[in-house]
Amino acid sequence: MDSLAAPLEVMARPQLDLELRGIRKRYGDFTAVDGVSLQVEKGQFVCLLGPSGCGKTTTLRCVAGLEEPDDGGILIGGNEVTKDPPWQRDIAMMFQDFALFPHMTVAKQVGFGLEMLKKPKVGIAKRVEEVLKAFEISALADRKPGSLSGGQRQRVALARAMITEPRILLLDEPVGALDYSLRETVMLELKLLQQRTGISFIWVTHDQNEAFSLGDLVVVMNHAKIEQQGTAEEILRRPATAFVASFVQGNNVFRGRVTGTSPDVLQVETSAGRFYVPRPPDPAPMLGDAVSFSVRAEQITDAPSQRQANRLTARCTAVEYFGAVRRHIFERCDGEVLKYDQFGAHAARIVSGQTVQLGWQVEETVLHTGAPG
Amino acid sequence: MSTIRVRSPASYWLAVPAAAWMLGVVVVPIVLLVWVSLWGGRTFSPASPLTFDNYARFFANQTYIKLAGTTVMHTVMLMAVTGVLGYCIAYCLVMKVRSPGWRLALFLAFIIPFWTSTLIRAIAWVPFLGVNGVINQLLMSIGATRSPIEAFLYSKTGITMAQVSLYTMMAAGPVVYMLSSIAPQLREAAMTLKATPLTVFWRIVFPLTLPGVVIGQVLVFLNVMSDFATVATIGGNKHALLSNLVLLFYESSQIRAASVVAVLLMICMLVGVIIALRVVDVRRLGVER
Repeated sequence: MDSLAAPLEVMARPQLDLELRGIRKRYGDFTAVDGVSLQVEKGQFVCLLGPSGCGKTTTLRCVAGLEEPDDGGILIGGNEVTKDPPWQRDIAMMFQDFALFPHMTVAKQVGFGLEMLKKPKVGIAKRVEEVLKAFEISALADRKPGSLSGGQRQRVALARAMITEPRILLLDEPVGALDYSLRETVMLELKLLQQRTGISFIWVTHDQNEAFSLGDLVVVMNHAKIEQQGTAEEILRRPATAFVASFVQGNNVFRGRVTGTSPDVLQVETSAGRFYVPRPPDPAPMLGDAVSFSVRAEQITDAPSQRQANRLTARCTAVEYFGAVRRHIFERCDGEVLKYDQFGAHAARIVSGQTVQLGWQVEETVLHTGAPG
Repeated sequence: MSTIRVRSPASYWLAVPAAAWMLGVVVVPIVLLVWVSLWGGRTFSPASPLTFDNYARFFANQTYIKLAGTTVMHTVMLMAVTGVLGYCIAYCLVMKVRSPGWRLALFLAFIIPFWTSTLIRAIAWVPFLGVNGVINQLLMSIGATRSPIEAFLYSKTGITMAQVSLYTMMAAGPVVYMLSSIAPQLREAAMTLKATPLTVFWRIVFPLTLPGVVIGQVLVFLNVMSDFATVATIGGNKHALLSNLVLLFYESSQIRAASVVAVLLMICMLVGVIIALRVVDVRRLGVER
């Protein structure tokens, strides 16, 4: 095997396209990015997800070199680039409103990157033609951005960024400016493009559907920090903090204090009642510690049996339909909202105004082990 | 709120005051001017026959032709100086002054002098440029020169210095507007496409501000061509441009000759504006974003 001949170090650490080492960025009193560390493997699709103002765009701009972090390091392809200007980095970027040059034709625009790399003119013209064809915008070659539709602009911006074949493509809300009906098609195309080219994508979005359907790695940010990073499934199934649990759709979050411990289970007293959660490996919360936990809306049942040890009684205030899912909104005794999802087409058993007992299994309860948000 | 349709009777009636004003102060005087410039004969009266004799007389005189050439050269030189200087000032104001408060303060400092009349501002240069003027005092106090430089006042240099100061902001103003309407993302996008700052300027920023540059140049061109006040006050009676010729003829009651020069000056300016409009479609400014 060839790999046996490779130096041990390389084998031990797969090549990283991007590494952020505790980057920090302040604007006066406001901390935009606070110690963000991230490792992006070669050809990975990473989504930075978070509410507006959480620091995801600033992080992206630091990677692009458009902002210089006050602290920390940035490595692209293993090379330290923290102080390098954007034009010396092996990246390309797609901007939220596409930032097309209004005075250049589509062909000129798409060839701009190659022109900057001082490629021969004939070669540029040929490559531009190929790329325009690949992105199905050949017909627009002589048009200026002012006369293009949103979808066409998006394609031009993408072609302009991809033509230089960067190591990493940074995308700042790339489909945010598109019509809703266009988004899913474009997202799928981008995902396929990313898989075909093997270029790492770093996609900034506030839309969790985008992040969960596209990202190999989803990084959830809040208040300038990373709350959790993992696959979509990890983040959906096992939210690490109360923030992630409440930011991600379909979770019911509870906060309380530990009032009893056993080797397997913690007893937590909350304003909505007493519940049991699986005890995590040490260091587990101690008696009296403040903790938060969550349970997904689809894990709840309205006919709890012996197995559903966590129970509460609540009044249904609304029933919503989402295709295959029927979502019931309940009011807990402490006034907070509880969501309960029912799959399948069976007849509605609960109507608005009804008070019922709900329950779920202790194993389905997720204790938040990250720092409480 | 109701809107008035473009071709409704109301819109025509609303245009009447402005149209009447323009007719009275622009159109009628120009027609009169052209008419007078064509009067032939020996007597100065509306009954005179219409000929091109006055124009022929102007073009037959080498001195006048040379003066017209000097005027154009002087104007082009001023356009170049104020264009470069104005662009630099505009660029610094928009790109380098980060605080909006400072930007406004500096911009006001530049434009407040425009609240006084051109004549006053021209005269204000005399104590600066004179033999005992501020500039000479300063130069002598720092030891740059022993005896005062006389070339500042009543000279071509003095005229140029004063006019540069008077008209630089005219060149800068439209550029300030165009520069501040360039989205920062455009420059950033160019940088992520491997363009160095200098390339970003020449390929992105400058082309996008070109309409502002052209408008500024038109303003400077029109003002310098018609500026007799600065030339008269700073240049003394030693220097003259085409516009001073109008004044000279007028003061010596040669109304027909004055009209001829005025009409020719006007034609020069029109040609200048037409050339500028060929370069940049001013009506479409800011539409294509």
